[in-house]
Amino acid sequence: MPGMNSGLNPADPTLVSAFRSALLHQGAIALLIIAFLWLVWATARAWRLTTPGAKPASGARARARRAERPAEARARWLLRIGFGVLWIIDGILQAQPKMAGGLATQVIEPTAAASPGWVQHLVNWGGTSWSFHPIQAGAASVWIQVGIGAWLLVAARGRWSRLAGLASVGWGLVVWVFGESFGGIFAPGLSWLTGAPGAVLIYAVAGALIALPEDAWRSPRVGRLLLGGIGVFFIGMAVLQAWPGRGYWQGTLGGQPGTLAGMVQQMSTTSQPHFLSSLLASFSSFAASNGFAVNLVVVIVLAGLGAVFLTGNPRLVRYAVWVGAVFGLADWVLVQDFGFLGGLGTDPNSMIPLILLFSAGYLALTPAPAPVPASAPQEAAEAPAAPDEVVVNGSERGAWAPRALGGKVATASASSVAALAALGVIVLGAAPMASAAANRTADPILALAIAGGTTSLDAPAPDFALTDQNGATVTQASLRGKVVLMTFLDPVCTTDCPIIGQEFKQAGVMLGVKDSDVELVAIVANPTYRGVEFTQAFDREEGLNTVGNWLYLTGSLSALGKVWEAYGVTVENLPAGSMSAHNDLAVVIDRSGNIRDELPADPGPGTTSTRSSFSVLLSQYARQALADS
Amino acid sequence: MISSRAWLALLGAGLSVGLAVGCGSPSAPAGGSSPPVLTVPLSTSLVTAQGTWAVLVMGRSAASHNNFWQLFFQPTGAIQWSLVTPEGVADNGGLVAAGGATATSLLVGFRPSQGLAFSPLAASSDAGKNWTPGLLDAQLADVPGALAISASGQALALLHDGSIEEAPTAAAATAGHWSRLSTLGGLAASAPGRACGLAGVEAVSFGVGDTPMAAGSCAKRGVAGVFAETGGTWQAAGPVLPAAFGGDQVQVLGLASAPDGTAALMAAGASLVAAWSNGIGGSGWMVSAALAAPAGTVKASGFGPGGSVWVLLAGGRAEVIGGTGGAWQALPDVPAGTQVLARVAGGGWEALAASGSNFSVWQLGTAPATGGSWVRGQLIVVPIEYGSSG
Repeated sequence: MPGMNSGLNPADPTLVSAFRSALLHQGAIALLIIAFLWLVWATARAWRLTTPGAKPASGARARARRAERPAEARARWLLRIGFGVLWIIDGILQAQPKMAGGLATQVIEPTAAASPGWVQHLVNWGGTSWSFHPIQAGAASVWIQVGIGAWLLVAARGRWSRLAGLASVGWGLVVWVFGESFGGIFAPGLSWLTGAPGAVLIYAVAGALIALPEDAWRSPRVGRLLLGGIGVFFIGMAVLQAWPGRGYWQGTLGGQPGTLAGMVQQMSTTSQPHFLSSLLASFSSFAASNGFAVNLVVVIVLAGLGAVFLTGNPRLVRYAVWVGAVFGLADWVLVQDFGFLGGLGTDPNSMIPLILLFSAGYLALTPAPAPVPASAPQEAAEAPAAPDEVVVNGSERGAWAPRALGGKVATASASSVAALAALGVIVLGAAPMASAAANRTADPILALAIAGGTTSLDAPAPDFALTDQNGATVTQASLRGKVVLMTFLDPVCTTDCPIIGQEFKQAGVMLGVKDSDVELVAIVANPTYRGVEFTQAFDREEGLNTVGNWLYLTGSLSALGKVWEAYGVTVENLPAGSMSAHNDLAVVIDRSGNIRDELPADPGPGTTSTRSSFSVLLSQYARQALADS
Repeated sequence: MISSRAWLALLGAGLSVGLAVGCGSPSAPAGGSSPPVLTVPLSTSLVTAQGTWAVLVMGRSAASHNNFWQLFFQPTGAIQWSLVTPEGVADNGGLVAAGGATATSLLVGFRPSQGLAFSPLAASSDAGKNWTPGLLDAQLADVPGALAISASGQALALLHDGSIEEAPTAAAATAGHWSRLSTLGGLAASAPGRACGLAGVEAVSFGVGDTPMAAGSCAKRGVAGVFAETGGTWQAAGPVLPAAFGGDQVQVLGLASAPDGTAALMAAGASLVAAWSNGIGGSGWMVSAALAAPAGTVKASGFGPGGSVWVLLAGGRAEVIGGTGGAWQALPDVPAGTQVLARVAGGGWEALAASGSNFSVWQLGTAPATGGSWVRGQLIVVPIEYGSSG
């Protein structure tokens, strides 16, 4: 998929170091946000207690009202805590060192590869954005998921809690579409065993349930509907599992492991503790030997669980929950490999969320009797602070007066403040990513990862007298007064040079300065194919013939040889059909003709993102030279 | 906030939609099978006044950027081959060589590959010792007959889109001064093109009097698509094939200058036929007997001196015709790795094989001791720079 693959090693030390640095930096800011909010809250409370005319008893009244509220429904509590913890685990998994450089190619791309073209097209859009801004995207994923998890955990009741559920829905759908390619539901081989319909879709469903008004949990209706939906889903999965021709009924196919045995066997070969790979290998062998029996058990259990969930009979459902949990955990270990082992895992896959979901369904089916409060403080339950605690003089304008605002902050509950802090953590990751995504060029970190360090110099640029693509003579002296980005290109090169030419062209576009300010210069690096006709052909090939400030210089072999030597470029023809070899180099020459910077111009894999990244880096150096002159 | 009833309705709808899409089976890809298309590999050999040239691919076939095409040369009267691949351009996209029997120079074209979109050229008039760089600012076609050069130095180039370019002299060709002779559409729209239902051009050559010629495949069955350009007009110049081929589609696989005329190799249905013309513009054809060769079995083909023709077929089969008007003759199965046959002095045949960096010459022994089998001769280890184009 074009754009998604940066072509860089996910373990590239430059990328890993930048990712770690971004996480540490943003982590420190997150702590500052939390400390600041706590400080403001504590100060406001202290101020309120010592201010004449304040209502010291109002906080106690709010606490009393909260105490009178019915307890949070058990099912809702399970979903909130369970998925809160899961989001935090996912956030921690997102912080793996290789995640910034590897998610697009090792997670998103393989998942999308088996899906239809329109899915790949859609996913490629997201993957490209990630590959252009891997550090911001990687860090954003960490903080958004940690933030949502923390928000779910700390905001137990009221509007803040329901908003956390909605946040879970929103981010869950984003991850489901772009990270999981719709959970692979449009790809062949879909199976409950391997994670259908995608773990984060279950997160989103749970989030939607958490966002329900709390009174919805007081009757068994939510439980019945939830279990009914899950029941239909299980029966659908049983039918799919039983469908002939998908390879699940056969332990082996043509001497090779069948669909399930093959998947598990492949999983067992990935990097993980030996006892786990042995366990998977054993189960793969078992599934290969008893393919029909294994699939029969899966189909029967899925169909049976689905049927029981559909009945809504609490006693039967209770047993089904136990069976489903044991069966799901077995699949989690033996087929899903805990979801995150054996690769760049981003979540524990579908079984734990699914067990949480149907367990919550059972709890919702049998809601605990709620204590009936003396009054009906619904408003108090919904709002973090009662109206009489935040409005001082009764007017809307007055509500934002410092005194009223202070009162509002002072009477906010601790969980509201914590939820606000969690929201701050989400924004902390999302804002830089949104800002980066709005920029359609890649970050220079990719180019730095390929090129390594640059060298700052302050030496006069060696002089030369060469011929440009139009036959005019160009000397180093004639370029004085302009910032020059210079490189060495072979006009008949098949690999690096066309890419570097494109990078220079794009850098010129990014600079957006007048032709008289910056000159983009290439010098021929081929001892044989060095005529003007070749530089002209190269320019036409790369669309550089329309770039006003582009010069492609050539000359006699002796003239070129002197320039190559002066700039430290080695050029030689290789035998037996190989290209003419030369080292890739770019130099930045300031207006007074001094070389300021020298950077390796090896374009690396030459992908969309690395090309863009090099262009950004080159334009940055040129801007700096312009600014300094 | 949305009411609980609305939420439950939304959830139910979401679960239903999820289930509906989740349980959908992937649809099978649509589309039917296409008729087989004959592809002509670039590996070939040709003869000029200076000697015999062979083009073949070497290296690691698993990765195209580690496959490098090589040019070997054997001077007339000599028995040793030497590596003469022109330097300065990565030739992973393939080499195309041209040089008629009476031509004094060889013109080589580098096919585009990876980021290179045009075709550098190289010309030599001293048996590959020195090369003059040249330029065709377009993509050379992926067939061995994509370049042609006449005895006077006039040149033709067949492009990947079926267009034909011409250069009046060898110097003009190397300087990049090519002009359009015809487009595929133009040739197909000409009277002879319409008569054959021209589907594609596969080779260019020069006929008697340096007449530009082109050949390709016809949609009309039983018609050989060979054309000659005289006075700015294309004319039909192909042989009339025997009635036995009336129901077969005919594709010209190769076209070459032969003594006093033109030689052609054609696939007609599941057969191969060779034909020779000795008239201006390709008249007066002689057609060989048919050789059974089902589609897709031709691995390489070429022309030798005196109107000789050779083909390598799947399974190591080799068939040759010794000269103009001759009959097909089977050679012993060629050694593994053989890509090219070459006619050598004395009328014998050599099999040129490649394995990795090793170029092997196998000679067809005629002595009773060898029993008419292939005997290993020269071995050249080619200094391939793996990874230099990746």
